[in-house]
Amino acid sequence: MRCGWLAVVLIVGIPTCGVSADKSRTVDFAREVLPILSDKCFVCHGPAGEARDALRLDSFAEATRSHDGRYAINTARPARSEILVRIHSTDEPMPPSDARKQLTAAEKTLLDRWVRQGGAYAKHWSFVRPRKVELLGRRGGEHIIDRFVGKRLRQQQIDFAEAADLRTLARRVSLVLTGLPPDPKPLAAFLADGGQHAYRRFVDGLLEHSRFGEHQARYWLDAVRYGDTHGLHLDNRRAIFPYRDWVVKSLNRNLPLDEFITWQLAGDLMTDATLEQLVATGFVRMNPSTAEGGAIPAEFQAKNNFDRVETFGTVFLGLSLTCARCHTHKFDPIPQSEYYSLLAFFNSTAESSMDGNKYEYGPVARAPASLPAWRAWDELLVTRQRLLNEAVKRLRTLKSATADDHKAWATADSGTRLKRLADPRGPFATLALHKRAIVLSRHLATSRKSFTSTLVARDLSKPRVTRLLERGEYDRPTGDPLQPGILTVLGEFPADSPRNRLGLARWLTSPEHPLTARVLINRIWQRTFGDGLVRTPEDFGLQGEQPTHPALLDWLAVEFQESGWDLKRMLRLMVTSRTFRQSSSWREGIEDPANRLLARGPSHRLDAEVIRDMGLWASGLLVEQAGGEGAKPYQPSGLWSALMHPGSNTKLYVADKGRRQYHRSLYVYWKRTSPHPMMTLFDAPSRESSCVRRSRTNTSLQSLGLLNETQRVEMARVLAGRLLHEATDDGDRLDRLFGLLASRKPNLRERTACMGLLETLTQRYSESLDEARQLLSTGRSSHATTLNVVEHAAWTQVVITVLASDVSILLY
Amino acid sequence: MNPIQHDRLDLTRRQLFGRGALGLGTAAMAQLLGRDLQAEGADIRSGLHHTAKAKRVIYLFMSGGPSHHDLWDYKPKMKQMFGQPLPDHIRNGQRITGMTARQKTLPICPSKYRFTRHDNNDGGVWVSELLPHTATVAHELCVVHSTFTEAINHDPAITYIQTGSQVPGRPSLGAWLSYGLGSMNENLPGYVVMHARTSFPEQSLFNRLWGTGFLPSDHQGILLRSQGDPVLYLSNPKGVARRDRRSQLDTLAVLNREQYRRSVDPEVLARIKQHELAYRMQASVPELMDLSGESKETFELYGEAARQPGTFAACCLNARRLAERGVRNIQIFHRGWDAHGGLPREHESQCKDIDQACAALIKDLRRRGMLDETLVVWGGEFGRTAYCQGGLTRGNYGRDHHPRCFTVWMAGGGIKPGITYGRTDDYAYNIADSDGQPLDPQPTPATWTPGSMHIHDLNATILHLSGIDHRRLTYRYQGRDFRLTDVHGHVMADLIV
Repeated sequence: MRCGWLAVVLIVGIPTCGVSADKSRTVDFAREVLPILSDKCFVCHGPAGEARDALRLDSFAEATRSHDGRYAINTARPARSEILVRIHSTDEPMPPSDARKQLTAAEKTLLDRWVRQGGAYAKHWSFVRPRKVELLGRRGGEHIIDRFVGKRLRQQQIDFAEAADLRTLARRVSLVLTGLPPDPKPLAAFLADGGQHAYRRFVDGLLEHSRFGEHQARYWLDAVRYGDTHGLHLDNRRAIFPYRDWVVKSLNRNLPLDEFITWQLAGDLMTDATLEQLVATGFVRMNPSTAEGGAIPAEFQAKNNFDRVETFGTVFLGLSLTCARCHTHKFDPIPQSEYYSLLAFFNSTAESSMDGNKYEYGPVARAPASLPAWRAWDELLVTRQRLLNEAVKRLRTLKSATADDHKAWATADSGTRLKRLADPRGPFATLALHKRAIVLSRHLATSRKSFTSTLVARDLSKPRVTRLLERGEYDRPTGDPLQPGILTVLGEFPADSPRNRLGLARWLTSPEHPLTARVLINRIWQRTFGDGLVRTPEDFGLQGEQPTHPALLDWLAVEFQESGWDLKRMLRLMVTSRTFRQSSSWREGIEDPANRLLARGPSHRLDAEVIRDMGLWASGLLVEQAGGEGAKPYQPSGLWSALMHPGSNTKLYVADKGRRQYHRSLYVYWKRTSPHPMMTLFDAPSRESSCVRRSRTNTSLQSLGLLNETQRVEMARVLAGRLLHEATDDGDRLDRLFGLLASRKPNLRERTACMGLLETLTQRYSESLDEARQLLSTGRSSHATTLNVVEHAAWTQVVITVLASDVSILLY
Repeated sequence: MNPIQHDRLDLTRRQLFGRGALGLGTAAMAQLLGRDLQAEGADIRSGLHHTAKAKRVIYLFMSGGPSHHDLWDYKPKMKQMFGQPLPDHIRNGQRITGMTARQKTLPICPSKYRFTRHDNNDGGVWVSELLPHTATVAHELCVVHSTFTEAINHDPAITYIQTGSQVPGRPSLGAWLSYGLGSMNENLPGYVVMHARTSFPEQSLFNRLWGTGFLPSDHQGILLRSQGDPVLYLSNPKGVARRDRRSQLDTLAVLNREQYRRSVDPEVLARIKQHELAYRMQASVPELMDLSGESKETFELYGEAARQPGTFAACCLNARRLAERGVRNIQIFHRGWDAHGGLPREHESQCKDIDQACAALIKDLRRRGMLDETLVVWGGEFGRTAYCQGGLTRGNYGRDHHPRCFTVWMAGGGIKPGITYGRTDDYAYNIADSDGQPLDPQPTPATWTPGSMHIHDLNATILHLSGIDHRRLTYRYQGRDFRLTDVHGHVMADLIV
């Protein structure tokens, strides 16, 4: 009975790959056959087939090669192909009868048709450069995304869902783009604006808001495994937060993502590298590190590199390279030697293989120590540029300037020019500009003094030798030294690029690269719609899932490149689609729980950070655009000391006082061996390894956190205080509360339930003032003593409840 | 169909398709589905792939690497070789850590402790005087002298034995068990971790040791703490009584049901259930932690230390109470075994922390009829060297990390009682064959060296006893079907009843 039920569900589900019954159609090898071969055959007959005579099925040449007169694929007499004989054989079946993965009947039929049609091979879809496919029959003015999505919906004889109501849509898009609900004023303006472009204007406002970069940065920090500690052994503090601030700042100013990538991989190798470019290379240094007594440096040189090259694979290529560390990849065409060629790009960075447990695990650069400090610094640089521009004009007519002065000026960088300008013995000494230059130099020097250290990448002048490591063991280098090189299945290294990390970045961002744009745009889609077009964002290889909408993914990837890798533009495109704007309610008659058809809008539980930020924001406590050293909100005592070595400098957790307590969650201190429990409770990763997709669990411990954690009680108390101040009527207060958290008013049932709770609690606290006072004493922020204690306590409880409910913690 | 069952059906269907394509492995899912849809009281021994011999696992983890020389692996011949250099053919060019690599000599360091032979069901077992209580349960223990690992330093080694990989990022043993078997008691977490107090809090522990890696994060170990709330955020805020929470939850349920009415999303219903579970846990956990009902006799068994929250003894008593309440997966971490110098002082204190409680746990489970279905495992991430680190005297010495052999014991849960397994050479340096000649086990996916137990073999055996085939409990991540034992692991059939 149970099995029967299971089978029924499986059958009516949406097929993930197109096993079609249409017999005349030509089989699409890359999308239909290759996934089967990879999953069921390649473990033994794949690229890693080592024996000389081993049968391999990963290329046409191999599959049609004679093995004592027998052919896996017999092109002359397809029916005699060993593949067909064996998959149907009962005596000598393939896969063998004891193999864990067996072929289904539909898969056998498909293999039959493929071999009979000639057994043609093609490259795996994601290894071929994406192209835009123009859809025929364009409906007037239809959004490009909706054309792709609508086509598939029509195949299933369904239409888009009705549009979400405007309030829901405003909340949804605001959470997706900025990680917070809409502020009441812009929301009201949007709702009042009946104009055709109202939504677009609202979206633009969000894209330009400084919250945008803070929210979008989180996904990147998960992927690159950003943490404030070294991550291994003592798990000591590490100088790195300027990198995090740089990510926020760069996303806010919409730095094209190809440059965003390039600076991170190779900013130090760029000509006249700027401070920002250097800070960005913190990415290369993000691997967890150790200085455990007894650790062997060569072992960690290897491990650090493994970590970097494998993270590189996940973040940019959407491929797992880990298999190829020890042997040729079983599924994807990646020879072990190419793993080590790729590793060679990272093997010559100058830091030692062990961190010495030091905060400044060099090389380091000095950079502004917070986001406001970055802003001030940037302004000084703008002023400097203006001053130098003026100076250039003056220099032409300046009589005191000698030919040498002109020459020196021409070759000097901005810093030297300013020095020259400020030099009392220099040619500018008599000008007004000179005095301004002195003042500015002083400002710059003062600013620099407050700079802080951050880990950066530098290459050794003499590169380290890289060799293949047998079975991935650090003490078994073998073969000739390897030059840095890329994975050949993914195209060619750009001819004019240097064989270093900069060349590697050029390769990644070249228009020919088949994966980078697809992988990135898929993750951008994922954070907008909840799931990627490829549901395995960490795996675009043969074992990964096929895209739900292949042509759409490719169109977006190409558009992304052609737009100049413009993140904001792509997000605007996505959120203005009907696909995004439709209602997220589950629809009757459509059996698609994972929403692969995109027949409804996105909905899911919000991330840990958003859940916390929303409450702080609603209460007015939230501190945005802070940056700087990671903040430490309240945390139950003893969590770190119960784990840590006595010599660790992160064994004691001292909660911050004052405003730092309320910094946006992105800035919360990230100790990799023990992150803040309110983060991990809601599925935030440890950041010890790359995470491009968080799980979304639903547990009873989350309930405890939502209702009992100190900061949540505090934010509820402060928010309750705000409601009591801002409105005199309880109904009005509840409207405001729902307005903030849900962008709408409560319905009748919700209102009745909340008012009932308020009444019960008012009664209860009026009988026990002490307990009301106790509740109101939670948290360090000051609290308004002018309020009625009973009323305040009762309202605090109502607010906690609504904050913990699905009204607040879901995207819908 | 009752409403709760209906909720479950929706939920599991949702999980099956995997909202985030985080779908469970087919085997695990089919089993979980089966269990969820069965009535309460279904056979919890059914296991995932075969009948489980152990309903639950209690893992006593000695972090830092206890000295097998001074506790379990009796080497009388070393007495005569005090201070002599370790013979080259014994070390055989094997790597040693950076801490002793530059030491001029590697002097042989016999244990200063007296060993006594205790009868078991086999040829008897030698136990050090540091473990007098544990020695009294010798007939229950299966003592494996030939456990080994490749990792030579703490962080990689402990990560390796707990997650099957030296590099962070993989799910822990406990998470795999939770993923494979689910929970038997919905009012308590299915996987509970405790940290026992020590006088030598050396070496760090990491969340990853009970973390979920790429498995859904609800399989992570839940800390049962001796300080503050036993489970994080368990207590209501000050000024909030249990009846207040009831009113809140009733209101919350209305709000969530309204959300369900709008969205028809079954996960919303599942969340209502989780809020109710939390409410019940607020009662069940304090009941669990309340030892007032334990008899005087029990405290005599575990020792008075069991009355002090956070001691190893208290953790063991909690472990038994958790086991009684259906918690499947319990781990106690005891730090302080990393004795590079002053080993006698440190190990004497460490043994005092654990000895009586280990024996008490075994006896207590036995007298309650629970030992046969409870697997108890005792061990660390590696052993310690035959040679001395730093200054050597008859009375004082230190030992470096030693991965090539160390002792682990198991009891109950389908393990043969009262046997020893595997042996080491005269220096307890190499695993040896029955003639005492060094073996050099180099396990491959296809080969296993009889007489040895790699940490993957240990993990394969723990899963096996729990009803799980370690080769079949997989989770696809980045295109690969990952498992706890990677491509390795051999079930130690010789140890199983």
